[in-house]
Amino acid sequence: MRIVVYRAVILALILACWQGASLVFGAHWIPAPAAVMRAFWLQAASGELWYHARYTLAAAVIGFLIGGLPGALLPFLIRRLATLRAILDPYLIAGYGAPKVALTPLFILWFGIGLESKVALVASVVFFLVFFITLAGLDSVDQKLIAAARVFGAGPGLIAREIVWPSAIPYVLTGLRVAAPYAIGTAVVGELISSNRGLGYSIQAAATNFEPAKLFVGVVALALIVLVLNAVLDLLEKRLLSWRPTGGIAERAQTSF
Amino acid sequence: MTPGKGGPVLEVRDLARCFGGRDGRDDALAVIEGLSLAVAEGEFVTVAGPSGSGKSTLLNMIAQIDRPSEGTIHLRGETILAPGKADLNPGWNCQIGYVTQEDNLLPWRRLLDNILLPLRAQRRLDADARTRVAALIETAGLTGFERYYPHELSGGMRKRASLVRTLAYDPPVILMDEPFGALDAQTRTELHADLLRLWSLKRKTIVFVTHDITEAIALGDRVLVLSRAPARVVDEYRVDLPRPRDVDHLIAEPAFARLYESIRQSLARQAPKARRA
Ligand SMILES: Nc1ncnc2c1ncn2[C@@H]1O[C@H](COP(=O)(O)OP(=O)(O)OP(=O)(O)O)[C@@H](O)[C@H]1O
Ligand SMILES: [Mg+2]
Repeated sequence: MRIVVYRAVILALILACWQGASLVFGAHWIPAPAAVMRAFWLQAASGELWYHARYTLAAAVIGFLIGGLPGALLPFLIRRLATLRAILDPYLIAGYGAPKVALTPLFILWFGIGLESKVALVASVVFFLVFFITLAGLDSVDQKLIAAARVFGAGPGLIAREIVWPSAIPYVLTGLRVAAPYAIGTAVVGELISSNRGLGYSIQAAATNFEPAKLFVGVVALALIVLVLNAVLDLLEKRLLSWRPTGGIAERAQTSF
Repeated sequence: MTPGKGGPVLEVRDLARCFGGRDGRDDALAVIEGLSLAVAEGEFVTVAGPSGSGKSTLLNMIAQIDRPSEGTIHLRGETILAPGKADLNPGWNCQIGYVTQEDNLLPWRRLLDNILLPLRAQRRLDADARTRVAALIETAGLTGFERYYPHELSGGMRKRASLVRTLAYDPPVILMDEPFGALDAQTRTELHADLLRLWSLKRKTIVFVTHDITEAIALGDRVLVLSRAPARVVDEYRVDLPRPRDVDHLIAEPAFARLYESIRQSLARQAPKARRA
């Protein structure tokens, strides 16, 4: 309850600073919160906001799935193949490190300026993030648990199901959680560079037409989308990790010792 | 090494284990060297030794989750582990149970599921097994906590749960690594009594590691004393106290006191050189 109050206070502070900045620098550069809210309402009512938002969401979600699923599953397949891992290692690191946004022109060349190029861009970013975080999770599985289980007759299947998978889940979820805002952000960057629809396009168009309020609407909408996505992942995590201690630090620490 | 009735069930011959020097440095550490022991069918052997003397390392090799550098291990005359032998077979087809020093319970499984896991892994989980497990849980004082997660239990309860997990699937040979290490004296004595009662019913072959002399005498048919690393068996004491033993009153017996003193001196000789001088 107190958290909600504090959050409201912070929101009020942000709005106040925003309003102040708008007064100091002028509404042409920084439109007042009320003006943005009005524009938001108008765009939402006309369906324009949703028209663009669902395009961005589609690119982000489809790319998230196309990149995230193999990113989460592949580590499980190559977990026991040390040689393959060693061979692939430099390529994966290079793929992880390469700035995918720089590939946007290439993706547009390949897939056109439609949804496909954004999906490809998002997938390439999400894949590597989820892949590496999941792989780290698999490497951190407690080998003593596995040894003890083998002594009492657990085969590879049971060990995968009962030990490896449950200890990797928190990492998979962290990977997805880290990747989610990247997915949105990458889709928007793709649209900024070249598109005729989506929140990125709408922001770009607003800037070109000198409609700062409209530009802010796009940014606010993106922030809201990320919040909603995060809440969904929260829910997923609560369901999958119900065994974890929820109390204070001491209670959390006990599981790891 | 003369086991009592029958041939030895478990035999360890000239075991050695080095932990290699890192980065090719030539500082390989011999933790165990020339260690031999034999355990007869239904015998309860306790192993006492200073901390860091390689007790856990010894049990790891008997349980086949670690490989010896030298020496062999035999179960009922069959060589089950030798340095050159191909793959390790942990637990030797569920013939050797191992209650490890850490409880190794799965944090994401409730107590009961943890205890039933070996039976499930071995496809032996039926109504009968569940009844037996319930009785064991009762004996270990864990009734009512079946649906708790390990992090919701005390350290002692987790130890008992890990003990019950192994007893539940009934392996003929059981290795125990300080299973009562973290418990208060009272609970400990109670569990000693419980363990002895369970053992007298089933007559498992048990190798029980501890550094508590009282515990070693109270439980064992024989007490083996390990040397400081590189470890081998330096002394062996037969415990001729009658069974069933009343653990609570054992301490008062003169035979107990004599044995206690001999083992204490034997362990003291294993104290670090610096302090001995
Ligand atoms: N994996 C390993 N790598 C290197 N050294 C090890 C390894 N495992 C054990 N050792 C060393 O072997 C020695 C014996 O360890 P071990 O755990 O067997 O002792 P212990 O007798 O069980 O001690 P405690 O009573 O404290 O449990 C220690 O000096 C330890 O540092
Ligand atoms: Mg130990």
